[in-house]
Amino acid sequence: MKLRVRTVTLDHRSPLLDLSPVHDAVAWVRDGEGLVGWGTAARIEPGRGADRFVSADAALRDLASDAEVEDHVGLPGTGLVGFGSFTFDEAAAGSVLLVPRVVVGRRHGTTWLTAIDPVGADPAPDPAPQRLPSPPRDRPRYAGSSKPDVHWLEAVATALDRIRTGDVGKVVLARDHAVWSREPFDPLDLARRLTGRFPSCHTFLVAGLVGATPELLLARSGDLVRSRALAGTAARGKDEARDASLGSALLASDKDRREHAYAADSVREVLGGFCSDLTHDPRPTLVRLDNVQHLGTAFTGTLAAPHTSLEIVAALHPTAAVGGSPRDTALALIRELEGLDRGRYAGPVGWTDPAGDGEWGIALRCAELAGARARLFAGGGIVAASLPEAELEETRLKLLAMQAALGATDDAS
Amino acid sequence: MPADSPSTPGDHLDAPDAALAAAVADDGAAPFDLDGLAAEVGATRSLLESVERAGLLMAHHLDADGVKRYSAADAQAVRAGMTLLDAGLPLAELLDLARRTDTAIREVAHHAVDAFLRFVRDPVRGTAGSDDEATQRLVTAYEQMLPATERLVAHHLRRCLIAEAAQRVDAEQITGEPADGQEPAEGRGGAAR
Repeated sequence: MKLRVRTVTLDHRSPLLDLSPVHDAVAWVRDGEGLVGWGTAARIEPGRGADRFVSADAALRDLASDAEVEDHVGLPGTGLVGFGSFTFDEAAAGSVLLVPRVVVGRRHGTTWLTAIDPVGADPAPDPAPQRLPSPPRDRPRYAGSSKPDVHWLEAVATALDRIRTGDVGKVVLARDHAVWSREPFDPLDLARRLTGRFPSCHTFLVAGLVGATPELLLARSGDLVRSRALAGTAARGKDEARDASLGSALLASDKDRREHAYAADSVREVLGGFCSDLTHDPRPTLVRLDNVQHLGTAFTGTLAAPHTSLEIVAALHPTAAVGGSPRDTALALIRELEGLDRGRYAGPVGWTDPAGDGEWGIALRCAELAGARARLFAGGGIVAASLPEAELEETRLKLLAMQAALGATDDAS
Repeated sequence: MPADSPSTPGDHLDAPDAALAAAVADDGAAPFDLDGLAAEVGATRSLLESVERAGLLMAHHLDADGVKRYSAADAQAVRAGMTLLDAGLPLAELLDLARRTDTAIREVAHHAVDAFLRFVRDPVRGTAGSDDEATQRLVTAYEQMLPATERLVAHHLRRCLIAEAAQRVDAEQITGEPADGQEPAEGRGGAAR
């Protein structure tokens, strides 16, 4: 299939998500910048397997090799791009890399529009002249879980037994809520609300998977790479003093620092193998969000040899923030105990261009929307000092936050 | 009753208060240890441990070897919780409700005991002609008031539950099915209940 790709500057100040003329858009936005696309020029389905990342990468390069590209802007994200969302488990189907017909983007205050036209195709829809109205909303209504949470609690207790016997150091166990509603869930509308509530997170939307993640799995721009690992969580305080004391308790908590160290170490080991230099925060810092605060470690490095963002993502995934440590033992334990098809939850989500530049997060705090039904997910990192009932409560609060974001009112809490 | 509460009334008390303390001690049988309780109700030990750590299951007393013992009433309470789970209430929500109940009930219990001590015991101790009379009046009052208080609280909770349910079911009627008639559900929403 031959593509004509043309990027031009766009004189527009509106939030990128407000430019979408369709409700089922694709998006990767943070702090007002990023990429939003609509329509489908190509849908790449790389199938199952550990090579699903590089297969998708290769398919995008194939498209690019036969594309006429006219790029008048020349920033990361201009020209041909694909929006990807990959399954957590290599044995699961459902990974996808979407090339939209139209992409609007903004970086360092410059806004652009890329039209991606298969030769002979009908014209793609223009940006919306005004923000699409929010459709009527009902609240999300509980329909059940893949595994009753009383059994999930037992799974956490079993994981703790394995941690005590030394089989595994950390394992992340997740659970889900299926919900239904009297009105269809609207992906664009939910993404808009998430950007409002979590401006410093990456809000993503790819093929019905919508969420906001504070974690940056990998960003590549030329030979520079960045990553930010997050693990270890505390609540926000109602006032500054309480907030600060919860934050210092988190920084001082052995349990949370250990949980964080597993995640940061797994990123450092992998990126260290790709980079000629790799620097990172000497110790975790606090990353504060609307509803929780996390321990975070930021990494920057220079690639020693050319590798695409998806090649590095393939090596990073799953980090200990979503799998565990040691990785293979943790993954086997997740398959044995979790009783959940994670689908694309906890998998890489983001965008890439054919040259391999891109930005990837991990699909946490997200919902998988399908008409008036949705699945919400939440997980917790189980380490030696974890208590099953505390992990159950943490996931309950995370699920409530996502239900509030999907809910009928805007005062999500 | 907390596991670390004294199982025999202190001998520093005078006769009427010692008799009251003995009545309060509730030294009914506690035939189960934690494994026995789990077997009795058909739950796992790890579930009961979690519930106990959450402060929602309290041992009746510690036996001479320091092992926690549980009564038949404890077993009944756990069974009641499991009935709620079987009816579909997720465990996480049940634990949240139990914590809320614990907070509310502890405050009521504090004030109820305070009222008993100030308005029943103090007058008895100030007006009884003899220790024997004081003892009898105190123990009788306690034995009548405890079940009466239980009945009052249980009845009020039931009334509140029914009134709330009537109001909410009316205010939040669900008409019709999920609005996804056009879309295949992909088997995703219909997860196991």
